[in-house]
Formats: sequence, structure tokens, C-alpha cells
Amino acid sequence: MLKLMKYEFRKTWFTKAILLAITALAEIVYLIGLYGDREGLLATGVFLLMLLAVGGLLVIGLGSVVTLHRDMNTKQSYMLFMTPNSCYSILGAKVLECGISILITGAVFFALGALDITLLFARNGELKALWDWVRELLSSITINGRSFLGDIRLQSLLSVSFSLLAGWLLTVTTIYLAVVISSALLNGKRFSGLISFVLFLILSWGCARLANLISGSIGDYFMLMLVNGLICLVFSAVMYFVTAQIMEKRLSV
Amino acid sequence: MLESKELTKVFGSKTAVDHVSVKLEKGHVYAMLGPNGSGKTTWMKMAAGLIKPSSGQVLFQGEPVSLNSRKHVAYMSTEPYFYSWMTIKDVGAYYADFFEDYSPRRYQALLQRMELTEGMKVKTLSSGMMAKLKIAVTMSRDALVYMLDEPFNGVDLLARDEIRASILQYATEDKLLLLSSHLVEEMEMVADRALYIKEGRLVECVDLETMRSERGVSMADRYRQIYGHTEG
Amino acid sequence: MQFDPMRPIWLQVMGEIETDIVTGVRGPGEKLPGGRELAVSYGINPNTAARVYQELEKAGLCETRRGMGTFVTGNAERIAALREELARKAVNDFLKKVGSLGVSREDAARMILEEEE
Repeated sequence: MLKLMKYEFRKTWFTKAILLAITALAEIVYLIGLYGDREGLLATGVFLLMLLAVGGLLVIGLGSVVTLHRDMNTKQSYMLFMTPNSCYSILGAKVLECGISILITGAVFFALGALDITLLFARNGELKALWDWVRELLSSITINGRSFLGDIRLQSLLSVSFSLLAGWLLTVTTIYLAVVISSALLNGKRFSGLISFVLFLILSWGCARLANLISGSIGDYFMLMLVNGLICLVFSAVMYFVTAQIMEKRLSV
Repeated sequence: MLESKELTKVFGSKTAVDHVSVKLEKGHVYAMLGPNGSGKTTWMKMAAGLIKPSSGQVLFQGEPVSLNSRKHVAYMSTEPYFYSWMTIKDVGAYYADFFEDYSPRRYQALLQRMELTEGMKVKTLSSGMMAKLKIAVTMSRDALVYMLDEPFNGVDLLARDEIRASILQYATEDKLLLLSSHLVEEMEMVADRALYIKEGRLVECVDLETMRSERGVSMADRYRQIYGHTEG
Repeated sequence: MQFDPMRPIWLQVMGEIETDIVTGVRGPGEKLPGGRELAVSYGINPNTAARVYQELEKAGLCETRRGMGTFVTGNAERIAALREELARKAVNDFLKKVGSLGVSREDAARMILEEEE
């Protein structure tokens, strides 16, 4: 399994290296803006970093889908499927590698964001005061005697991020399933791409409904996000098993 | 050792392999013959477990092909299949990672014979060099069954000699070799048995030396009889 | 080498080795290549190569010593007999050829002697 993951990483590292390089560049722009008191650069840096955080996660997830597609539909597929590895291992390596990459990317941008905000407040006392005021204001908004967002603490920020990352992993594994169905079950048939896209929409909608049923009644924002994230992970695991099962039984490369 | 029972594969409206039942025994080199599109590749891919049959089955040592059979069956496809970022060294490392029967020593020896060096990039190899690399890495496995699809395709005369020698060197009594080709002359001396496949069906499986001594017919003659246009 | 694919390959390789033995390319008692080596050097199937040695042994032209390999026979009489066999076969082929041209055996014999310089 580790060996398979090594090759999955090998297939995607170039994209990741580029992402890392651009992020470093954006961070430098931000720092120059911050310490050189050049607001234009500062704003550009912030914008770029936010764009990279979202875009990076998008690229990593979709890159993994493209790799899976290539590994099933080109001659390259023999590399994986002639080895004595089950489809569970082959797909498992892909899901794990992608999941870990998403998690690490998320963590890196989270840490970078925290660092940049800390640096910003240290440099600019007025902003810090403004932020504290906003925070107080938000936590004073209550619905039925309970705080709406709660105090904006690290804890809730972390749970939101976790929920978002897990949700993205679920989206990626759902696309995996759609791609495998298109390749293994509908191969050569007309509209196989369209059918699998529609299938993806239905599956995503179903997952969202189911998650809502389970976690909808949770009042506490932190708990809600945490549970949502966990549900997404469980659903991702289900997607993985179903996808691997279809590959094992029906896939011809 | 390798047996197909009523093996059939249908692609859409085309039957690529049509109820093929055949038993291949170890200690022999089989030539799988037939024009392009006669079903040779599809049969092999089903035996390698890459394509799932529409019906029928392939047995390796009496068991349906599975993960276990992949450990002992070395399959080489016609098309290049290595990752484009690989060097020749990476290809060997990949086989070392996934096949217990891979021998780095054998790989080194074969690379040397084929005049390939480890630093070469797969992407930049000519078709002849690629054919040699595929043979080198496939024959580096001490497998029980070797299935080589069109090993002589796109290869010049000298490289053919090297490929032939590499194949013969590892064709021992406990191994089964199956080579497909539409270059019949190339297979005449290497194989001792021939499978003639026509339009997805097995026409016959013959022992070549027996056919030569009893009927005075070569593998190529028989090929012409089976596939040639009947003239008068 | 080039083989005639319509005739059994083992027979043709055997013929090659017989010629080698008679001409001394492979001397009496000399070690012959292993079956696999023979297969690789002639580019023939290993089973065919094994058959070659079986038949050579059956004909008393070589012997296999356990664990040591296959050797050309040391028996000079057998080699002399082989020379005779091969020569007669060549003469037969020759006579068949001239016969088909309508030349009598006597005329053929005269021609042979005339060719001699």
C-alpha cells in the first residue's frame, strides 16, 4: 500500500511543487507589503493567498481525479492493474494520498493565515482593536438566548476548516465513483460522461440530505461542524468501498 | 498450466474472442498467430486479468486468474505502458516494488545485452528501444508464465535477434511462453507449438515439428492455408 | 543460419552438427554447448535443441555425462562411419540431380573424373 502511495505521490508531486512555489511567492509579496507599508502589495498578497488556498485544494482534488481517469483509460493502466494489487489497494492508495494532501494543504494554509494575521495585528494596533470589537459584537448576537456564532475561537475555526476539507474529500471520492462507473459500467456507451455527471449531482445531493438529517438538530456550531466533517469522512469511505467493488468486479482496462 | 474454457469477450456488437477453449502446458513456447484484430490481444489480456470476460473463464494452475496469478504471470503489452516520467532505472525499481520474482541482476544483464542504459528517459526512447526495454523488464521476472504480445513489432533485424535470444534463454522446462505475432516467419524457429486464431475462434493448436515431419508443412504454410484467400 | 521451415528443424540442426563433427570443427571428445546455449545460438526452440542431442546420442555421435554436459563421441570408427554416411548421402543427392537431367551414372562418373585437376 505504501509503495502504491509512493507512486501516487510521484504522479502528482509536480503540481504540488508548483503550488508551493507560487504560495511562497505570494507570501513574500504579502510580507513586503506589510513591512514596506505598501498597501497595494499587501492587498495583492492577501488576495493571492486566499485564491491559492481555495484554488490549491481544488487543483489537488481534481488533479487526483484526472490521474485516476488516466490510470483507467490509457495504456498507463497496465502499470497498476498487472501488479498483484487488489482494486481496494489501488484505489485506497489514491484516496489516502489525496486525503492526506488535502489535509496537509489545508493545515498549511490555516497555519499561514494564522501567522499572517498575527503579524498584521502586531504591526497595526488599530486593526487589532477593530477585530476585537467585531468579535465582541458577533458573540453578543444571540438567538433564543444562545450565542449565534459563539465566541470566534480557534476551536470553531478549526472545526469549520475540518468540515470544509472533509466535504471536499467527499466530493472528490464521489467524482471517483462517477468516473469509475463511466469507465467500468458505461464504457463505450453514448452519453456515459453526461450520465456520470448527473449521477454525481444526485449522489452529492443525497449525501447532503442525509448529513442534514443526522446533524441538523445539533445547536452548537463547533459540534455541528465537527459532526458534519465526520459524516463526510464516513461517506467518503462508503464511496471508496463502492467504487473499489465496481472496479474489482467490472473494470476492464 | 494456463487454460481457457469457453472464453468469450464481446465489445458492443463485436465478438473479439468467441468460445475459445484451450489448454497450454508448461515447457513449451506457443506462437499465437492470426491477423490483426483476430482476438489475440484480447485473449491475452483476459489471461492477464486486465480484461474481464463476457463469459467463460481462464484458469491458471486450475484456479481462476486472480491477484495470485498476477504474481506468476508476466504480461507484456504491445503498446508502451510505462509512466512518462520514468527513466529505465525507474522502470526496474517499479518492478522491484511490485513483483517478488523480479531479479535486478537479470535486468542489468538484459539491459546490457539490449544496449540500454539506466539513465535513459522512457519518453525519449525510439520504438525499437522501447520494444527492447519492455522485453528486458518483463523477462527480468522469474515468472511461471510469460505472455508477450507482439514482441517483434517495430523492431529492426538486429534487435530481433537480441529479443529472440533473451526469450529463448529463459524458456526453461518449468515455464510457459506465449508469444503473439503477425510476423509469422519470426516465430517459426522460436515456437514449438502454434495456436491459430481466426475471427475470435481457435482454429487449431499444433505441434510444429510433428506437423513438419508428418505433413511437410511449415508454420507459415499452415498460416497461408488458414487465412489465405482460396484461389480455385 | 537459415532453416527450411518445411522440414523438421531438429533434423537440420543435427545435420549441421554432424557436418561439424566430420570436418573436425567439433573434435572427438569435445564438449558441446548446453541445450539452452544451443537454442540461443541457433535461435531455435529449447525443446527442439533437446531433441537434437537426443537424436545425436541415439545415433551414437555424442554422449551425455551426468552433470558435465554433452560431448562428441571419442569413437573414431563411428566418426569415420558418419563421414561415409554423409558422403553417400551427398553422392545420392548428386546422382538424383544429374539423373533428372537425363545423364547416366557412367557419364556422371566420367564427368567427376574430368573435373579433377
